[in-house]
Amino acid sequence: MNNVRIAFRNLNRQKKRSFLLGGAIAFGIMIIIILNAFTAGFIVNVRENFSLYLAGHIFLTGMEETESGRVINVIRDDTVLKDTLKRLGIKVKYLVKRSIFTGTLIFEGEYVLQKIDGINLKKEEGLKDRLILKEGSFNALASDPEALIISENVVNQLQAVLGDTILVKLTTATGQQNVGEFELAAISIDPGVMGFSAGYANLEYVNELLNIGQDKCTLLSIFLKDFESIDSEADRFYSALSQKVNMFDRTSDKEGFESLRGVSMQGEWKGMKYQLLTINDLLSRADQLAGIVNIIGLVVLLILLSIVMVGITNTFRMIIYERIREIGTMRALGMQRNGVRGIFLYEALFLSLGGAAMGFIIALIIMVCASIINFGMGPLFFMLKNGHLFFKIIPAQVILHFALVAVLTLTAVFFPARKAARLDPAHALRTHY
Amino acid sequence: MVIIELIDVKKFYPLGNVQVEAVRGVRISIKKGDFISIAGPSGSGKTTILNMIGCIDTPSAGTVRINGSSTSDLSDKELTTLRHRTIGFIFQLFNLIPVLNVYENIEFPLLLGKEKMDKKEKKEWIDSLIEEVGLKEWRNHRPNELSGGQRQRVAIARALATKPQIVLADEPTANLDSETGTAIIRLMKKINQEQRTTFVFSTHDPDIVEIADHIIRLHDGLVVSEDIVLEERSG
Ligand SMILES: Nc1ncnc2c1ncn2[C@@H]1O[C@H](COP(=O)(O)OP(=O)(O)OP(=O)(O)O)[C@@H](O)[C@H]1O
Ligand SMILES: [Mg+2]
Repeated sequence: MNNVRIAFRNLNRQKKRSFLLGGAIAFGIMIIIILNAFTAGFIVNVRENFSLYLAGHIFLTGMEETESGRVINVIRDDTVLKDTLKRLGIKVKYLVKRSIFTGTLIFEGEYVLQKIDGINLKKEEGLKDRLILKEGSFNALASDPEALIISENVVNQLQAVLGDTILVKLTTATGQQNVGEFELAAISIDPGVMGFSAGYANLEYVNELLNIGQDKCTLLSIFLKDFESIDSEADRFYSALSQKVNMFDRTSDKEGFESLRGVSMQGEWKGMKYQLLTINDLLSRADQLAGIVNIIGLVVLLILLSIVMVGITNTFRMIIYERIREIGTMRALGMQRNGVRGIFLYEALFLSLGGAAMGFIIALIIMVCASIINFGMGPLFFMLKNGHLFFKIIPAQVILHFALVAVLTLTAVFFPARKAARLDPAHALRTHY
Repeated sequence: MVIIELIDVKKFYPLGNVQVEAVRGVRISIKKGDFISIAGPSGSGKTTILNMIGCIDTPSAGTVRINGSSTSDLSDKELTTLRHRTIGFIFQLFNLIPVLNVYENIEFPLLLGKEKMDKKEKKEWIDSLIEEVGLKEWRNHRPNELSGGQRQRVAIARALATKPQIVLADEPTANLDSETGTAIIRLMKKINQEQRTTFVFSTHDPDIVEIADHIIRLHDGLVVSEDIVLEERSG
C-alpha cells in the first residue's frame, strides 16, 4: 500500500509532465476506441439495415427442376422448412415470404429496370419503420391489390405521379414474357442499400405475375430474435434441413452480395433443392472491411504508442536521476530492491491507466456529440442508424487496448525501474542534484 | 557489550586508474547505549565509516561486525533486512520523502519488512514519536512546509520508528544554524538516555562534538585519537 501511495503521489509532483505523457496515451486510446466503435457500429447498422431490407437474417431460396429440364426459382411447399425450425426450437421473431423479381417499369415512354419485392405487409411491420414515405400511405398496399411503392428517384425518372398506372414487363418463373399493371400508391424516400433500391408490391399479385401460385414465394426470410446467434442457428438449421431435403452447399465460391443473385447450380437433382444464406454471408465483405480498418487502427496505435514509449522511457530515466537521493534514502531505511522497482512500475501503471481512462472519456464525449448530427438520407444511409452515426463499444476490445497500453508502458518503464532498484544505496545517497 | 565493531577496516574507491583510500585501516568498537561522535575534517572518511556501520556499504578489507556478525558476506537483501531491523538513519539533508506528510514519513519504515504492527498500536506509537520531537501541530504537513530544524526532528522520529538498536546520523546539524543544531543533538541525547539506543553521529562542529560521550577523531582515513578518558569516566 505504501508503494502504491507513493507512486500515485509521485505522479502529481510534475503535473505538466504527467499530463503530457498521459495525454499522449489518451490520444492513442481515443483514436482506436472511436475507430473500433465506428466500425463495430457500422457492421451493426449495415446488418440491421440489410435485415430490414431483406426482411430477415436467414434466407432460404428454392430451385425446382421440372421434368422439361427447366429450373424454376420458387419455394412451393414451406411446411418442411417451418416444421424443422419449430423442431429445433430456433427463436424466430417473424418469418416472411417474399417473391422477388426484376422487371422493367414503363410509363409514357420512360422505362426503368427495377427490383420488385412482393410482400405481405401485415407480416412485415418492421418495414414501416425502415421505409419512409414521401407521399401516399402503406394502407394502399392493403386496399389495392395492384398497389406499388417505389422510391422517389425512380418516380422522377418515370415522371409519374401518385395514382398513375405503371406497366411492368417481366419474365415468369417458367420463362415466359409477361406484362402487368401496377398503380403507383406511395413514393418512398429510399436511399437504398449499396445502390439497390427496392420497389414493393403485394405478394399475391407478384405471385400471379410470376405465375407461381398464390401461396408460394421465391424467398423465405427468417428474422431471429437474437442477432448474435445467426451463425450458430443457421448451422443447426442447415444440417437439420440437409437430412430432409436437397440442399445446395453452403460454401459458395461467390462472395458476399453476389451469392444472393444465383447459386452455383452444379450437380444433378430432381425436384426441389434449397439454398440457405445468412445476412453474415452476404455481409462478409463489410466484415472484412471493418476488420481491415481495425487492423490499420491497431497498427497506427502501436506506432503512436511506440513513440510515446520512447518518451516515457527517457522521462523515467530522468526521473530516476531527479529522485536518486530519495531512492538511496528508501533503500537505507530498509526498502528492498523490488520495492523501489515497484514504485516506478506502479507509477507507470497509474500513468497508463489514467491516460487510457482519459482517452476513453474523451472518446465517449466525441462519439456522443458525433451521433447527434443527422446526416439525413444520403447515399451513406445504409451505414447509419436512421441517418445518425452509431458507435458500438465492445468492452472486450476496450479492455484489450487498456491492457496493451498498460503492458507497453510497464515495459517502457521496466528497464529504468530496474536500474533504479539496482542503484548502490551509498552511491545514491552521495549524489546531489 | 560491544554492538559495533570495526576490525582493520579499509575502504578503497576506484577513481579512474587510481584507487582512492577513503578509510585506511580503522579499529573501532562501540558499546551498546553509547552516544558517540565521529569528528574530522572534510574528506577524512566519516561518511564512509558510517555507511559501513549502517550496512549501506561493505568494507574492501577488514571486518565490520554488527551485534557480533560480519556484514561482508551478506547479500543485498540480507543487508537491507539488517538495516531495517537494527539501524535508524538521520541525514545531513534530512532526506524526507517529499510526497508524504510528517505522520506518513515516520510511518514509512514501519510499512517495510515482513512484521506488521497492529493498526491502532502503530498509530499511537507514531503519535507518541511526533509528540516526543515536538511536532504535534505539524502532523499532517508535508516536508516543504517545515523549517530545517523541524525536518530534522521528523527524521529523528522516523529513525526511531522501528525501535532500532543503533541510530546513525551523518552530519545531522550541518544544514542547521548552531542553536537549532545543538537542540537537535540534545534531543538525540535525551532519547539516548531514555531508551538506551546507541547513537553514532558525525560532525565537524567542535561545539557539538562536546555533547558526545565519546569522540572518535579521524584524519585522512585513520583514527587519530579516541577519547578514552570519557569512556573510563562513564565506565
Ligand atoms: N564513491 C566514491 N568514489 C570515489 N571517491 C570517493 C567516493 N566516496 C568517497 N570518496 C572519497 O573518499 C574520501 C572520504 O570520503 P567521505 O565522504 O567518507 O569523507 P567525509 O569525512 O564524510 O567528508 P565530508 O565532511 O566532506 O562529508 C574522500 O576523499 C572522498 O573523495
Ligand atoms: Mg560526509
